[in-house]
Amino acid sequence: MDTTNNKTDNEPLKNSNDYLWDGSGVPDPEIQKLEALLGGFRHDRPAPLFPEFVPSKRWTFFPWRVRLFAVLSATAAVLFAIAAIIFLTHGTKPSPVAMAGWDVSRMAGTPRIGSTTVRANELPSRLGVGQVLETDDQSRASLRSEGIGQIEMEPSSRLRLLTMGNSLKRIALDRGTIHAFIWAPPGQFVVDTPSAMTVDLGCAYTLQVDDSGSGLVRTSLGWVGFKLNGHESFIPAGAACATRPKVGPGTPYFEDASPEFRTALARFDFEDRTPQQPAADLAIVLAQSRERDALTLWHLLARVDDAQRALVYDRLSQLAPPPAGVTREGILRLDQPMLDVWWNALGFDDIAVWRHWERSWSATNGPERMSGTSAPADK
Amino acid sequence: MASRPGDSVDLLAAGLGPRAVRDQFAREVSDDAILVRAAQEGDRAAFGRLYERYARMVHGVLLAKVPVSAVDDLLQDVFLRALRRLSTLRESGSFGAWLVTIARNLANDYHRRALPEEPLADDVPDNHLPENDFGRGDHRAGGRTAEHAASAAAILDAIRSLPDAYRETLILRLVEGLTGPEIAARTGLTPGSVRVNLHRGMEQLRAKLRPPASGGQLEQEML
Repeated sequence: MDTTNNKTDNEPLKNSNDYLWDGSGVPDPEIQKLEALLGGFRHDRPAPLFPEFVPSKRWTFFPWRVRLFAVLSATAAVLFAIAAIIFLTHGTKPSPVAMAGWDVSRMAGTPRIGSTTVRANELPSRLGVGQVLETDDQSRASLRSEGIGQIEMEPSSRLRLLTMGNSLKRIALDRGTIHAFIWAPPGQFVVDTPSAMTVDLGCAYTLQVDDSGSGLVRTSLGWVGFKLNGHESFIPAGAACATRPKVGPGTPYFEDASPEFRTALARFDFEDRTPQQPAADLAIVLAQSRERDALTLWHLLARVDDAQRALVYDRLSQLAPPPAGVTREGILRLDQPMLDVWWNALGFDDIAVWRHWERSWSATNGPERMSGTSAPADK
Repeated sequence: MASRPGDSVDLLAAGLGPRAVRDQFAREVSDDAILVRAAQEGDRAAFGRLYERYARMVHGVLLAKVPVSAVDDLLQDVFLRALRRLSTLRESGSFGAWLVTIARNLANDYHRRALPEEPLADDVPDNHLPENDFGRGDHRAGGRTAEHAASAAAILDAIRSLPDAYRETLILRLVEGLTGPEIAARTGLTPGSVRVNLHRGMEQLRAKLRPPASGGQLEQEML
């Protein structure tokens, strides 16, 4: 093969590789011939109809193994019924230790599950649904669940386990600090705090809640969603976001933004009460913003009034030009699909993951918790 | 999304932007997770969707390891085993990789049961290919003559003689018609690994199909 760097000579190889990789580019006749010849071995039978839905076709589509499965299922159902009768008759309750939960290990001091101390040199204790884990000012604890992730709990923290469902694992952090490294699928792990709900979207992060209920999340890997009463914030790695009781999530920002930028943003989010002050703080934020601060400006689009929105749009357009299909008019009227397309163009992560989670959450937890998905908190 | 060290390198090696692969992977994992959770809660239609999505992948993995005549039965076994054990799957987004593991284990079990070991090379007689393959009687692209069937069987044997990683990836691409990104998303391999397997596997396959001197029968029939 000619290995010179002649572009024309190399082009067929590149195209050939593209075709082999994903079928794009100029088709390679040799590969096409192989596909045509070998395609006869391809699996192309329709999916079998599963027994519960088309019982009449059950034995047509499945060999004896499924009949064995049915027998085993029936046996399991009978055993379950017997167990249920025994349970109801004797009125016993399952031990919390046997229930789904998190394994808790002591890292320092004397963390407690309820009134029980988690001791060193013991097998991990189990934090069951409804139980409370607390650390005093000298204690630290580690929680681990194979299917979810690992959490380290700092001193003076209080955490409750709310649910351990198949599709939702939910804890509440009443106060203190946790460091979470989550490997459950995005959207399955949720932390309630007094001022926002933190939704893991595939990440590692630190969450702090002070005694007033105010919170701060700092993401070190992946991204996190913050949500409360229609306010939502997305916090990618390197960014942080504060929350306040009754207000909800503030505007996320990169932690290397200028002090002036951060101070003005904090005032804008949580302190400005006079009509003039928000405009002044917004002007500082816009003037101080860098290219990566498009993160903050994108969130501000839905948090300012109409006149301010035009200013934010203009600055954001300078930092991160809107992609095709995103218009000024659309953004100014807060067209959600356009906002989503622009977010995706910023390169942080795909907002479709969040929208999917929102739909799932809304379906299972009621629409009243999901009203106003675009944070319409106009100043 | 959480990423593993080296992923960015793999993505670049794969010739795709990170977003393209990540988007496809995220969509597939997200959809899988929904279907798996529904199936775990007893929704057989959801399991049927998973079957439709992964049957070709499992078929390809099996075809790389067991005789053609045994593939369809084992395919059913893989999904039945998955159905029975679905409740034990903790990470619903890893369904594809989990299924591949079941398929490989069942293929290995097949060979342990088969004594003496049944050779793969002679499992497709020249004039007797399985009904679901060349013997069905439909005359689609590529022809269905006995000569073509024999060529196809010989090429399949040549692929099966390649190292494991190459044979599986090549069969998924050339036989089952999955693209490289689809193979990566469904098997849990990185896109870079899939691309390397395809490229190197194809090189080795070409070498096997190329006659030592000039124009062997197989290459002549193929080209």
